[in-house]
Amino acid sequence: MTASLQLHQIEKNFHGVPVLRGISLDIEEGEFVVMVGPSGCGKSTLLRAIAGLDTVSSGRMTIKGRDVTRLEPVDRGIAMVFQSYALYPHMTVAENMGFGLRMARRPPAEVDQAVKRAAEILRITDLLHRKPKQLSGGQRQRVAIGRAITRSPEIFLFDEPLSNLDAALRTQMRVELSTLHAALGATMVYVTHDQVEAMTMATRIVVLNAGLVEQVGTPLALYHQPANRFVAGFLGSPRMNFLAAVVQAVGEAHAVVATPGLPPLTLGVTDTTELKPGAAVTLGIRPEKLRIVAADANDATGFPAQVRLVEQLGRETVLYADASPLQTQGSDSGTSNVTVQLGAMSRRAPGDAIRLAFDPADAYLFAASGKTLSVAAANPS
Amino acid sequence: MYPRPIPESAPLQRRLYMAVLGLVLLVWLLPLIAVTMTSFRSTQDIMSGNYWGWPVAPTLIGNYAQVFAQTPMARFFANSLVITIPSVLLVLVLSTLNGFVLSRYRFRGATLLFAVFVGGNFLPHQILMIPVRDLMVKAGLYDTFYALILFHVAFQTGFATLFMRNFIASLPGELFDAARAEGVSALQVLWYIVVPLLRPALAALAVLTFTFIWNDYFWAVVLTQSDSVKPVTAGLANLKGEWLSAWNVVAAATMIAAIPPVAMFFLMQRHFIAGLTAGAVKG
Repeated sequence: MTASLQLHQIEKNFHGVPVLRGISLDIEEGEFVVMVGPSGCGKSTLLRAIAGLDTVSSGRMTIKGRDVTRLEPVDRGIAMVFQSYALYPHMTVAENMGFGLRMARRPPAEVDQAVKRAAEILRITDLLHRKPKQLSGGQRQRVAIGRAITRSPEIFLFDEPLSNLDAALRTQMRVELSTLHAALGATMVYVTHDQVEAMTMATRIVVLNAGLVEQVGTPLALYHQPANRFVAGFLGSPRMNFLAAVVQAVGEAHAVVATPGLPPLTLGVTDTTELKPGAAVTLGIRPEKLRIVAADANDATGFPAQVRLVEQLGRETVLYADASPLQTQGSDSGTSNVTVQLGAMSRRAPGDAIRLAFDPADAYLFAASGKTLSVAAANPS
Repeated sequence: MYPRPIPESAPLQRRLYMAVLGLVLLVWLLPLIAVTMTSFRSTQDIMSGNYWGWPVAPTLIGNYAQVFAQTPMARFFANSLVITIPSVLLVLVLSTLNGFVLSRYRFRGATLLFAVFVGGNFLPHQILMIPVRDLMVKAGLYDTFYALILFHVAFQTGFATLFMRNFIASLPGELFDAARAEGVSALQVLWYIVVPLLRPALAALAVLTFTFIWNDYFWAVVLTQSDSVKPVTAGLANLKGEWLSAWNVVAAATMIAAIPPVAMFFLMQRHFIAGLTAGAVKG
């Protein structure tokens, strides 16, 4: 396997403000890499830099071993699909899809052939003579993808292509894109802020934050073994519960940490360099790892809580519970409530007193720097 | 502050509103009505001072026939076309090119250049009368079509550039990115993407510029002298001198002179379709 796309120390400054701060990445042939991160993390800038629409301040970029850092988009062998579709409104679907090839003065038969092939792959043959304004959002996005396919690029670049679609269509297009990737076997780089898209479609996810790569890995590896607190908090919905804690004792491969509202916990750690008694750390527990136990259960890691809000999702239930003195940090709800995800319908109502518990082996430990220290929950089982 | 519909429950106000509307319309159209009526009046009417009453022995085409038979109006009319049409075309071409570059490319001095285009509009034309006339005399263009064409193109392009730049800037940026990613050259983008999407703007600008240039009187007087070059506006003024009493003929000539801008408006009207970019991006 050769690297389809290689980024080496890509940096970009915009009016002196660093937007990309030394990004290095190898993308293999046929991978579906999803770059994900909060808004302003530089993911779209990075994609535009790969496309050649924006220049980079320093660094090197190769596609199939060819240095493309200073090449125009058309010479890089890429095709890009935009969030807003960017279809030419005065051209029919067929004209839109064949425009690039026509402008490159390719023989009309070849253009027709390429358009026909792309239309068949995307099942839009019956739309070829329509204008973009006669199409639905999903159809437009399909045409935009078709326009990319027509050019038979080395690499497909997608810039939040599903963000303008409604939820149902997004799910459908997600499946179609995955199918398309399997069918074409092409390298695809996909930018999104939606972690569900990242988790479902990616062969590998690149988590970006503030112009830096936080972690690269398969969706499950990132979910189960986040390299740091940012990745742990970014992937997974509802978000991981974070609790401020203090180290009490440090052993060979374990640490004892205390947090208000819980008895001291002994957690396995891989790295003790940042740990010493009295150090501030963060404890992380995924909402689905919390469970409701009987009120009188003699559970070592149990704590009482009061339900504040219930979100019924049918298949599952999300509870937001006040467990003071136990307080979470930076939760989605903007409160210090604990988020609990139950795998089934629940009849709990706001005001109910419950008792929550978790297995210490499922808890993550993050150093003050954000780095993950625990081996916990490494097992996806 | 904004106009609110008068409720159905106030019939008096509604009727008053309609009446006032009619009155304003009448005042607004009065000069036009007078000129139109006069163009159908016989010479007796004019002699007897019947300018506002019902025409006695009206003549439908008599005065119009006279315009062409006895005055050089046909010549003036043709001159106006020779001046206006190339001017409008040149303004459209130049302003589209300017607008495209100013809205889509960043380069040193772009803002200054744009400011010059816009700033030119704030100069009162009249202060340029002597220098421009001298310039044209020295260039050997005085009293030729080129003098008027050159001046109008130079002066209309400023406003037209402002208009086009803003219109092109409002086109979705991703269209240009998409084209660039496909390797479409700047000129191809201009011709195959920008110009088709600019159709409503071009139509509006064509009508405006056409009207400005066609109706220009000041520069026609300043820069032309002979009947073979004079446009219709300056020509009309001549008629007044030579045919002092023949107001009916002058009125008919005025009507003829007014036709092209009106025709232009109706001709271009169908291109003023809003939302031509619908479907380009989410919409």
